[in-house]
Amino acid sequence: MIEVEGLSKRFGKTQAVAGLSFRVEPGTITGFLGPNGAGKSTTLRSVLGLVHPDAGSATVLGVPYRRLDRPLHRVGAVLEASEVHPGRSGRNHLRVQAAAAGLPASRVDEVLALVELSAAAKRRVKGYSLGMRQRLGLATALLGDPEVLVLDEPANGLDPAGIRWLRDLLRSLAAEGRTVLVSSHVLSEVAQTVDRVVIIHRGRLIQQAAISEVLAGAQGATRVRTPEAERLRELLKAQGVTVSDTEDGALLVSVPPERVGELTAANGIVLHELVVERATLEEVFLELTGGETTE
Amino acid sequence: MTAVVRSELLKIRTTRGWWAYLVVLVALVGIGAAAEVGSRSLDERSGLDFQYALVDLIGISSLLAIILGITIVTTEFRHGTITPTLLATPGRERVLAGKAIAGVLIAILFAAMAIIVVLVVASIYTSIDGGQLELADGEVVKRGATNVLGVVLWLLMGLAIGSVVHSQVAALVGTLVWLFLVETLLVGLFSLLDIDAVQEYLPFRALDGADGTGGDNLLSYGPALAVTLGWIAVLGAAGAVRTSRRDIT
Repeated sequence: MIEVEGLSKRFGKTQAVAGLSFRVEPGTITGFLGPNGAGKSTTLRSVLGLVHPDAGSATVLGVPYRRLDRPLHRVGAVLEASEVHPGRSGRNHLRVQAAAAGLPASRVDEVLALVELSAAAKRRVKGYSLGMRQRLGLATALLGDPEVLVLDEPANGLDPAGIRWLRDLLRSLAAEGRTVLVSSHVLSEVAQTVDRVVIIHRGRLIQQAAISEVLAGAQGATRVRTPEAERLRELLKAQGVTVSDTEDGALLVSVPPERVGELTAANGIVLHELVVERATLEEVFLELTGGETTE
Repeated sequence: MTAVVRSELLKIRTTRGWWAYLVVLVALVGIGAAAEVGSRSLDERSGLDFQYALVDLIGISSLLAIILGITIVTTEFRHGTITPTLLATPGRERVLAGKAIAGVLIAILFAAMAIIVVLVVASIYTSIDGGQLELADGEVVKRGATNVLGVVLWLLMGLAIGSVVHSQVAALVGTLVWLFLVETLLVGLFSLLDIDAVQEYLPFRALDGADGTGGDNLLSYGPALAVTLGWIAVLGAAGAVRTSRRDIT
């Protein structure tokens, strides 16, 4: 569907992408994750034929983007919300794209309604909020009813309601059998939406897998609350188990709850809480990218 | 290709700048026509000179045409709209060709509007003075046609410049500085060096000769047209290569 093979691109002294390979499977929502400057935008722009890679290839639907016949009918993309002429109205921006794709003006009004922008359609884009520009970008991507969607940081500038709206929209688009590749540096935005993740860091692939695998493979911890915290800590330490404190006075232990339970029962320690703490995508991500912040 | 041209025409028409072009064009040509009529006696107005002077007012659109030509390309880079443009039409040469065709149509529209304004202003002014505007001569029509072609050439020159220099400010300022300063300095330099004939081949000297209105130290119409087309072709080819190779980031 989308295939990136050995992609490399250097801008001056910066190696933006270095030998990156990954695949986006049809009919899935794939999160394309990495810290700022990881090479996400360069990769997506190479996929869309906007950036010429130094080496490697990128194809969409089996061919380089430039060879697609009627590309807006096959692939929809949102790259940067600012790529609109500020003096043009949102509707006219869409009309320009529709004309280039041979689509009727009625389709423009349909996508405006779909992204809930009809009321502001005739206003100049100059006066749009960032969230409105993101919606306009999505409308542009959806014009040709494409089977593949490529979205670069579509949640930027959206308020919490807008993010939920975007999430629902992406889910319904994927449910219709479309393939969605969505990049983000804010993991909480995508964690609940995506089926698969491609994680990159410094232009290289760190991991590509189903999100459930990524989370399952990550090391979890056990959270314990007891009135005899100090005694339990000593007992665990004696067995070589790592123990840390949480902010609310519980203990975080690096072994499964079974072992904690056995140990406390054998020593007659009262338990108030014993829970498995799943690693969040955020923690996995920090672990995989060597602790660099995502913001 | 029709879709690309339609999209390009829509881009030109859907910004506020478009109306500014039309207002400035009508105002300048209207004032020019009134001045041309007013400065001649009734006798002079039946002469061929006067009629030529009237149709030469079409040339006022040339400066607007070159500015629009530059803007058609550079505005896409200035506002980043080149990204959606290339997503819709990934072939960059196709985009430039679409812009060139749309630009030619707009240049013809500019010239047509100039002709209408000249005819309206001149005939009203003349009839107030109790005369009648005569433009029956075939030579005048021919002169008008070369003027129209001249406006088209100015627009294409602008488009070619814009496709080489993508920065809007640099392209506009550079062109105006070249047009009004550098070429004048070069002409002076060539004359000091005693190689006067070279100046006729400078891009805007050639363009000046190619609008068919004549002038001192210019190539005659045919060669001027050929040299102008040569400049447009060279700049256009360089622009096509530059635009195709550029990474759109």
